[in-house]
Amino acid sequence: MLRVRRWIRTIAAVLGLIVFVGTLPSAAQETVKIGVILPLSGPLAPTGQELRRGYELMVDIVNNVYPELAALGLEVAGWNGIPSLGGAKIEPIFADSRGEPAVGADMARRLILEQGVVGLMGAYQSSVTQTVATVAERHGIPLVNSDSSSPTLTTLGYEWFWRVTPHDMIFDDDLFNLLDGLVEGKAPGVPAVPKDSIRRLAVVVENTEFGSATGNDIVNRLAPERGYEVVEYMRYQANSPDLTSETARLVNSGADVYLFASYVSDAILFMRTLALRGAKPTLIWGQNAGFTNPDFVQALGPALHGVLTRSLFIAKIGEVRPIAAAINELYRQRYGTNLSEESAREMLGVLAWAHALNNAGSTNPRALQRALNELDIPGDQLITPWQGIKFGSRRPGEKNQNIYATGMIGQYQYNPETGGVTLEIVYPFEAATADMVFPFPGWD
Amino acid sequence: MDVVLDIGISGVLMGLVYALLALGLTVIFGIMDTVNFAHGEFLMLGMYAGYLTYAYLYPEPLAGVPVAGLVGMLLGVLAYTLLVKRLLSGPPIAQIFGTFGLMLFLRYGALAVFGPNLRSATQGLVVAKRLVVGGLTLDAAKVVAAAGSAFLFGLVYLMLRRTKLGLALQATAANREAARYMGIDTDRMNLIGWALGGATAGMAGALLVNFYYVSPTVGMVFSMITFTTVALGGFGSVPGALIAGILVGLIEVFTAQVISPQLKLAVIYTVFFLVVLFRPRGLLGAR
Repeated sequence: MLRVRRWIRTIAAVLGLIVFVGTLPSAAQETVKIGVILPLSGPLAPTGQELRRGYELMVDIVNNVYPELAALGLEVAGWNGIPSLGGAKIEPIFADSRGEPAVGADMARRLILEQGVVGLMGAYQSSVTQTVATVAERHGIPLVNSDSSSPTLTTLGYEWFWRVTPHDMIFDDDLFNLLDGLVEGKAPGVPAVPKDSIRRLAVVVENTEFGSATGNDIVNRLAPERGYEVVEYMRYQANSPDLTSETARLVNSGADVYLFASYVSDAILFMRTLALRGAKPTLIWGQNAGFTNPDFVQALGPALHGVLTRSLFIAKIGEVRPIAAAINELYRQRYGTNLSEESAREMLGVLAWAHALNNAGSTNPRALQRALNELDIPGDQLITPWQGIKFGSRRPGEKNQNIYATGMIGQYQYNPETGGVTLEIVYPFEAATADMVFPFPGWD
Repeated sequence: MDVVLDIGISGVLMGLVYALLALGLTVIFGIMDTVNFAHGEFLMLGMYAGYLTYAYLYPEPLAGVPVAGLVGMLLGVLAYTLLVKRLLSGPPIAQIFGTFGLMLFLRYGALAVFGPNLRSATQGLVVAKRLVVGGLTLDAAKVVAAAGSAFLFGLVYLMLRRTKLGLALQATAANREAARYMGIDTDRMNLIGWALGGATAGMAGALLVNFYYVSPTVGMVFSMITFTTVALGGFGSVPGALIAGILVGLIEVFTAQVISPQLKLAVIYTVFFLVVLFRPRGLLGAR
């Protein structure tokens, strides 16, 4: 009898202790673990490292006080941890997906079950993000993605997946907004141009998933919707030893606008061959990838004057957004380079997490889910020219996509005085850093 | 008509470049029946030799051609004496795996040493220059590469036909045992074959620097086309490599123009497949 009583007492004490710990104010919480899945080894390792830097710097800004950033109005820079969680610090736990979907999913499971993370981020390649998202969905753990651009991800009805970054269809929309803007006279420094001077499009894409996704979206959706005519839809062999014939075909198509989805090697070869042929379209635009690569700029230099490329982040944004300039400077001091598209988008992801955690005031998954669904960060907190971060639907069947996310379109402009080539922002028009060079001046 | 001529000339120019890439491979095979899987990497290192000469010694990519020739020759000699010669005592499969291993070693070694970046020459006598001939605009760099290829072909052909060394090389190629009984040092012939193969690949690489980017994986872009060219022309046949190179260049441009750019390699490989099926020794192959 005595023994039974002692047992009951012990159990009661243990239960009491559990309840007591469970109701402790969140002040006792020291860190909030967020699992970050990235391709840290394998062919995408350099990109993975770049992405990681973006996380680390923004986590540092949230966890500490940066008076100079706070003075510019960046709220999280004055927080010193998550305020509603008693100043709890965000602790990112990095895991390597090796760029493989199965490994990514396995890492997500381990982070949830072994590390007890309250949320996930990553995983860069859309195929990996998708498997990670299914794990997050099964375990009811929020996954905030800021680096995958396949439009499909936000159409699968996931309850635990939110995307901060624009997806590929939004990037394609941006291009047509720019074309329409030229006709309407909205482009900086360019009087309204007749639509007939930019109506005929040549779409040149490599014969891969990346190329055909862009190509099909432009050819099947946007061109007909916005009243443009595709006179040439060319899917070419990626990594070709020679592109003479392709270029001849392109020039002979008589298109006004050349649109490319190419990686750097083909992008260099196309531009060189077009230049030799003296091609003179009205506009040349590249879908990021090769067109933003430093090797592309090194190889072509002044010959790029007037070429457009879409990008999520262009360092020049600092000229119109002081917060972006200050963060870019901080990044440069720490890592020796400008913020890139990769590092910039991860900073936005961490920012979304920080606000969601603060709004939730708890690390309970349901509370976090609600906070993310209701998240509304104003544009003045961001390093991109977006209206803000707010999840919703921009097209039928879409869910939890940042409805304010847009890309930027930059234009390479040669400065004969400095001899350098800079990427100036020409879209969004209100964030333009220079007058647009239009039409494309040609190579003569 | 203009388009046909324009495209046709581009095809021939590029074809001559492919032929030069195939030359070294076919010479090595002709002499010792060994396929050098690392040939694309010899080309890649030739490109680096040419590019680095341009970037650090003299800002003219053409100045890199002799340097790359020497580097290629040295590479051929080293590959033969340190690796291939040892493999010869093993089964034939050892040679395949051996040069395949060499390919991986050189490719990823270059990645470790030079980094993954693409480098390009931006100035030089023929870099990004047009050559207008009778109303046709040609890429001066490709014209020079094609002319260099034709010149080197002539040189190798004459050497094989007119010099004592050439005759000894041909004798070795025709019948190794008999050549040895006649007092020809066949081991030395092998070495010379590899040196020649390496030198032509190196020079081809340096000529490419005038209009093509340099990267550790650039060998991959050219090696499939090179193997196809050699097999099409006939393994070991020097004139065969020349004709097959031009043929491949023409098929490539006309497929892209008439059918579809994404099918150009598919059509080249189909022609190759048909030749292998109906004429396994290639167009001008001896065996």
